[in-house]
Amino acid sequence: MKTLILVLIVCLGSFRLMAQVDLKELFKDSVANKGNLPVLETFKSPRLISSQSNETIHKHDLLFVVMHRFGDLAGKNGGTKTFFGLDNSTDILIGFDYGISDNLNIGIGRTKGAPNGVNTDQSQLYYFKAKYRLLRQTADQGMPFSLTLFGNAAVSGMEKRDLVTSDAGFSDFGDRMSFITQTILARKFSDNLSLALLPTYVRRNYVSFMDKNNMFALGIGGRVKVSRWMAVVADYFIVFRDQDTKDYFLQQKDFRFYNPLGVGLEIETGGHVFNLSFTNSTAILENQFIPSTSSTWTKGGFRWGFSITRNFTLFNKSNSNE
Amino acid sequence: MKAGLAMIILVFTTWTGQAQILSREVVISFFSEAPLEDIKSESKEGVSAIDTSSNKVYFKVPIRSFEFEKSLMQEHFNENYLESSKYPNAEFNGTIKEPVDLSRDGTYPVTVQGDLTIHNVRKSYTVKGEMKVRGGEITAHAVFPVHVADHQIKVPRLVIKNIAEIVEVTINATYRPDPKQMN
Repeated sequence: MKTLILVLIVCLGSFRLMAQVDLKELFKDSVANKGNLPVLETFKSPRLISSQSNETIHKHDLLFVVMHRFGDLAGKNGGTKTFFGLDNSTDILIGFDYGISDNLNIGIGRTKGAPNGVNTDQSQLYYFKAKYRLLRQTADQGMPFSLTLFGNAAVSGMEKRDLVTSDAGFSDFGDRMSFITQTILARKFSDNLSLALLPTYVRRNYVSFMDKNNMFALGIGGRVKVSRWMAVVADYFIVFRDQDTKDYFLQQKDFRFYNPLGVGLEIETGGHVFNLSFTNSTAILENQFIPSTSSTWTKGGFRWGFSITRNFTLFNKSNSNE
Repeated sequence: MKAGLAMIILVFTTWTGQAQILSREVVISFFSEAPLEDIKSESKEGVSAIDTSSNKVYFKVPIRSFEFEKSLMQEHFNENYLESSKYPNAEFNGTIKEPVDLSRDGTYPVTVQGDLTIHNVRKSYTVKGEMKVRGGEITAHAVFPVHVADHQIKVPRLVIKNIAEIVEVTINATYRPDPKQMN
């Protein structure tokens, strides 16, 4: 180390001798090389398409979210008679997120809910969610990835059905509830590519006959920037559902479960983020689209969807570092 | 280690007759006035140096150090406009045109000519400013316009009413003789 300093002194000395000191050199070492700064905008919004991203909104920011999923684009419920699904809406979400701090967000909202009529009849879901950003990837890769925790609780507000085999045959309030616990592991590989892994646990207090209360799933998400304002995003969940329930639903109800896949285009303008997507899942909330997706891309069972978010800065940062 | 090295540099410059004067008290701010909103931002992390023998001046500021009132705006400034992960600093290399004697107290109107590099795009500027010398302490002040398009900072049409085409940049630097102030 000492020799390095000596070498530097000699170098500086020789610069001096040349009388033309490159002033730039004076700050080469002393200006803090901000390598440990957190990487910004691994994803552009707190959601990819239907799944969460590792991003949170800033302190005192309020995010207004509207999400929409239309009916089947093709297949027997699509085509021109429903104007490629635009006549129908399978699910709608309206919600607000709020930044308690830059790392802790809470949110409330409601979805119409997307009952498929076989393994789920629940609709009118009110949710509360919380998200905590635990780790942030740094520019010098001292921290190579970002880690965010997510959880929600949803309550179905629908009228109870008099059918015990249905998941809407509630016998008490607790039966209306379902929960998501999720870890979001994300990495921005380059300015143009970000990927996320989302190990997820789904708990539904009351499920239809032969369905499972507890379920694990692994989400995979990605974003590829195509221009400074546009990116292609995708999310996919591998759902670990027991073979016996799959067999039961297939044999008894002629009903198949599918893994939800979404592909979309994300457009950002100032405080807005628009997301235009195609998904096979009909539902928007994790509590439904992870355990209950029953339409498939191959039979025209995918739909157009969009989400619009608008960020409001409720309180400006005071120039506190004065 | 860094502090030690800086000290050595400082000591060295003192030995050689203080031909270079350093400053770590550089406040750079900019102001954008557009129909829908006014945006102002400030960085206090700039650095500067003057070589009194050659009249050369140097400024450098990390893009990430600019603070905005709205955090999301700050993020967009770094990510979408200045692309600070690729181009982390803005730099200016120039020369004071007039002969000035910075060892004497007084107020000197100066013209600085040189190259400003923002967003990795270099452009030549001639900026009028003022330098004040009082008891060995030098302060420099300048205000000049920057056309964002000159530095290939693209503003999408949808937010053209939020971001001005020309932003006003203000620089205030203080160069102190006491080396303790420089770290």
